[in-house]
Amino acid sequence: MGDAVFTPDIGFVRGLKEGGADTMKQCYQCATCSTVCDLTPADNPFPRKEMIMAQWGLKEELSADPDIWLCHNCNDCSKYCPRGARPGDVLSTLRKAVIAENAFPRFMGTIVGNAKLLIVALLIPVALFLALLNATGHLNIPAGDVVFNKFFPIPLVDAIFVTTAMCVVFVFAISVSRFWGKLNVNPYKLMAHSMLIPSLIETLKEIVFHKKFQKCGANADRTWTHRLIVAGFIGLFIQTNWAVFNLYVLKWETPFLKDDPNMMMILGSQAAVMMYYAVYKIFGNTSALLLLIGSLMLFANRIKDKGVNSVSSSFDWVFAVMVFLVCITGLLSEFCRFANNAQVAYPMYFIHLVCVFYIIAYLPYSKLAHMVYRTTAIVYAKMAKRDVM
Amino acid sequence: MGLGVYICTDCGIGESLNIEALQKIGGKKGACKTHPFLCSKEGVDLIKNDINNEGVNKIVIAACSQRVNTDMFDFDPLLYITERVNLREHVVWMQPPNDPKTQAMAEDYVNMGIVRANKSEPPVPKTTDVTRVVLIIGGGVTGLTAALEIEKAGYKSVVVEKSGALGGWSKKSFKTYPAKAPYDKLLVPAIDTKIKAVSSSQNITVHLESAITSIEGEPGMYDIEIDKKGAKETFKAGAVILATGWKPYDANNLVQYGYGRFKNVITNVEMEDLASKGKITRPSDGKTAKNVLFVQCAGQRDENHVPYCSSVCCNVSLKQAKYVREANPDAGAFIIYKDMRATGVYENFYKAMQNDEGIFLAKGEVKGVEEEADGSLIVIVDNQLLGKEMKIRVDVVVLATGMVSSMLPEGKAVNDLTKEYIGEMVKKKTQDGEIEELMPIPHIMNLKYRQGPEIPHLKYGFPDSHFICFPYETRRTGIYAAGAVRSPMDSHQSSVDAAGAALKAIQCIELTAQGKAVHPRAGDMSFPEFRLESCTQCRRCTVECPFGVLDEDEKGTPREHPYRCRRCGTCMGACPQRIISFSNYSVDMVSSIMKSVDVPSEGDEPFIIALICENDAYPALDMAGLNRVRLNPNYRFVSLRCLGGTNLVWITDALSKGVDGVLLMGCKYGDDYQCHFVKGSQVASERLSKVQETLGRLMLESERVHQIQLQINDWDTLPKIMEEFSEKLKGFGPNPYKGF
Repeated sequence: MGDAVFTPDIGFVRGLKEGGADTMKQCYQCATCSTVCDLTPADNPFPRKEMIMAQWGLKEELSADPDIWLCHNCNDCSKYCPRGARPGDVLSTLRKAVIAENAFPRFMGTIVGNAKLLIVALLIPVALFLALLNATGHLNIPAGDVVFNKFFPIPLVDAIFVTTAMCVVFVFAISVSRFWGKLNVNPYKLMAHSMLIPSLIETLKEIVFHKKFQKCGANADRTWTHRLIVAGFIGLFIQTNWAVFNLYVLKWETPFLKDDPNMMMILGSQAAVMMYYAVYKIFGNTSALLLLIGSLMLFANRIKDKGVNSVSSSFDWVFAVMVFLVCITGLLSEFCRFANNAQVAYPMYFIHLVCVFYIIAYLPYSKLAHMVYRTTAIVYAKMAKRDVM
Repeated sequence: MGLGVYICTDCGIGESLNIEALQKIGGKKGACKTHPFLCSKEGVDLIKNDINNEGVNKIVIAACSQRVNTDMFDFDPLLYITERVNLREHVVWMQPPNDPKTQAMAEDYVNMGIVRANKSEPPVPKTTDVTRVVLIIGGGVTGLTAALEIEKAGYKSVVVEKSGALGGWSKKSFKTYPAKAPYDKLLVPAIDTKIKAVSSSQNITVHLESAITSIEGEPGMYDIEIDKKGAKETFKAGAVILATGWKPYDANNLVQYGYGRFKNVITNVEMEDLASKGKITRPSDGKTAKNVLFVQCAGQRDENHVPYCSSVCCNVSLKQAKYVREANPDAGAFIIYKDMRATGVYENFYKAMQNDEGIFLAKGEVKGVEEEADGSLIVIVDNQLLGKEMKIRVDVVVLATGMVSSMLPEGKAVNDLTKEYIGEMVKKKTQDGEIEELMPIPHIMNLKYRQGPEIPHLKYGFPDSHFICFPYETRRTGIYAAGAVRSPMDSHQSSVDAAGAALKAIQCIELTAQGKAVHPRAGDMSFPEFRLESCTQCRRCTVECPFGVLDEDEKGTPREHPYRCRRCGTCMGACPQRIISFSNYSVDMVSSIMKSVDVPSEGDEPFIIALICENDAYPALDMAGLNRVRLNPNYRFVSLRCLGGTNLVWITDALSKGVDGVLLMGCKYGDDYQCHFVKGSQVASERLSKVQETLGRLMLESERVHQIQLQINDWDTLPKIMEEFSEKLKGFGPNPYKGF
């Protein structure tokens, strides 16, 4: 801020309060939170200072603060807070604010970030899909055996989602550079740029093995939830790419005939094709199950807490529900396909694709964006010698 | 002779002592009975039977401490003397059982108790006519509440108010903060209801634009003279409540915050004024003010200005911050504090205000205030919670300047006051040369007391309120201080204070009518009696009485105002002629008690008599007993109403009897004194410094007499204190008068 004159941004403070940090004004700065936190650095620890920064609405300082991302939301601080100010929830809201602020285009951040606009966020893919189906003449329930390709041609799906994924990468590139630019100011202005790669490797290792998350003592259940969800998402990502490989490299098209001559030729025998198919399907379904169990555990943990230590914001709930819906609609589509119930299978598949679109296309704006922001912030913190690990 | 001695053998007394031997002592001078459970109905009936059938009127109960079972051993003090000998806490709970020294101690105490009872007579009641009217000085929230409370209790009052209207500061408040759940709404002050009730009451007389010109007399019978709009009026009152409230600290001294230099820097009193006008505007140009910054402790908790915390300003600023927020939902109200002190239930109010997104709180320091061309102010704040210095642009800065007692005359600073009485040190020529003397300044009460026209202050101009246990008491019996005059407080607290003081005032009038002490020996019916034919007009009693009981006539003979008396006996201790005594407490009595002690004629261990204060030292010894602390068995305790009653003749009496040393155990004195009678232990220590001469005449070491300050909770230090004194006496060898 330097010599700048402070003028209060009451709208920002109000926004934080409405966005899930409704308790933040109750903090009276005793710093119990910082004392009980296992992840905070000894020097200038969080979340005590973030609480007063939020109360005073210091938007710039907050968006330049890597510390809010060092927090893994174990809620030990909220558990011990004598005023019920729930620093865990406040930091969570601040992270959401940073995601919205760095969003590109910004209005997307608003649409996804605001639970009241959920319907808009869902209508975008619905309208898009309906328009494309209409344009390609597929806006009907196909006759015969259920084969999704007949309803929603796979090249069309791929066209949509590959484009979307590329947009997401592009959007993240912009957001992360904005974010990095904000982080990289005093007092942590970088001195050791060359540490980027080692820091990144170290960070990824931590994320995969949940090293930081495990340090939150009160949090064993939530670590496993997170592990399952991460594993599920990684599995499904692999599965998707595997399908692309099958389709475009092996030229094996749905409904994956076991006596496909091309496949027989590649793998040698029908038994080998059967085997390959089984492994492929088991892998995909296992990943979906992991995600489903993970999302159910997510609900269970939240309900178990009864809002004592943490009140989940609508931002969190929307995302948790979307993860659950992706799994359940995917699995139901699969079952209906086996049951050959076209009337349910095709609409279910449509809903499933809408949910998938929500997760992928809105990744830079949803709760899931934390995977990029947190990684960036931890890498930065490691480079700035701010991280404790 | 109606003496009856009753020994209880319960609580370990029977197992530790030779009761038959004790009984022989008791029996020598009257009937002596034992009972296994004296504080039972049967035990008390045994005593009552002797009272009714055997003519016993002096009851010596050798059992437990005088501080317990007072409800059981309760005999009409106008008819009977009840003397408690503490064999339990002070003997068997502290000493080894069935030991010759324990037995000797118990026998001494029984003897001493018998002497005390024999030397006592029930007091003759000294009832009087009283005026059942309370004078209330000050017509603010405290005075009005007191008047209404007094009315509710069925008494009359007279309110004397300096200004032309009732209501005081409360009347000037725009709104008040809540003292009840849910604590989140500001309230309209209730003062108008009180003003209306007082104005329409038949039992409350109000004098506006009036000042007290004279208060003369004593509790139950004060003559009051007031100046009402230039005319004199007189009336009588039975007690006085001082409720003159507070005044704001002069903000002109606070140049560091720009007060006086910048128009938009105002005090919290001025802010209240602005808000009352309906709109918060900038004094510089009358434009609506949006953002406002409050500086807490402006000059407070600062040795150079107001060294104390006024306790209300945090709540006031939170309230005024709410004014700012209610006027404009986008306005910011900043409160920069040293410590947020919303005491007690006000924590809830603080919480509610803190929750407002436009109220910004931070611990910090205001480093400076600068004015911009348009009159806006830039405040430089060291925000200690954010850990940085910041500049905040606001329209108005409000200084929380704090409260000063109205006891302070104009032009006096709280941190520069003369001790005890607010006044000037003046040089005076006497036959001994030039001396500096304190001239107290008459200000509010204009008391016609020897001690001065106003009541003493302890610190910063607040009347000495007799420490924490007795908040409304002042050092003038019958005059009670309530509200912000005695300590900074808000209108809610002042109202509670007013009710307390009102009840004390009524209690004072009623007890005075019955000839009873009000405080702290409430109900005591003894009065000091003066054998004036032997008075040498030395004036020691008139000077030393802490409560102004004694004036003196032109010749210097004491002139009594008995109902001001608190029965501490300081006058009795002061008198070198020993002409002052009570029917049940006298110089001769204590001398005789000491003479009744069986001082061992030989032995290596020094034998010591300790004069102990019955308010602190006595219960400290009880606690030592309760905790079974082993104390030196060569001490004998003689309890006094107050160490201030110590007459020097007792020291010579004790020493000439062969006692090796005399230890005085009294309360803490000085600035944070704990003496129930304000100055007792202090005057005792002053007297002791003069005892040296006497000891020299007796060819004795002055260190044989020693005073210690003991608080009630210091019981665990007693073994060390007593052992050290005993060891010191060993160094001097035995008292040469031993055995004479």
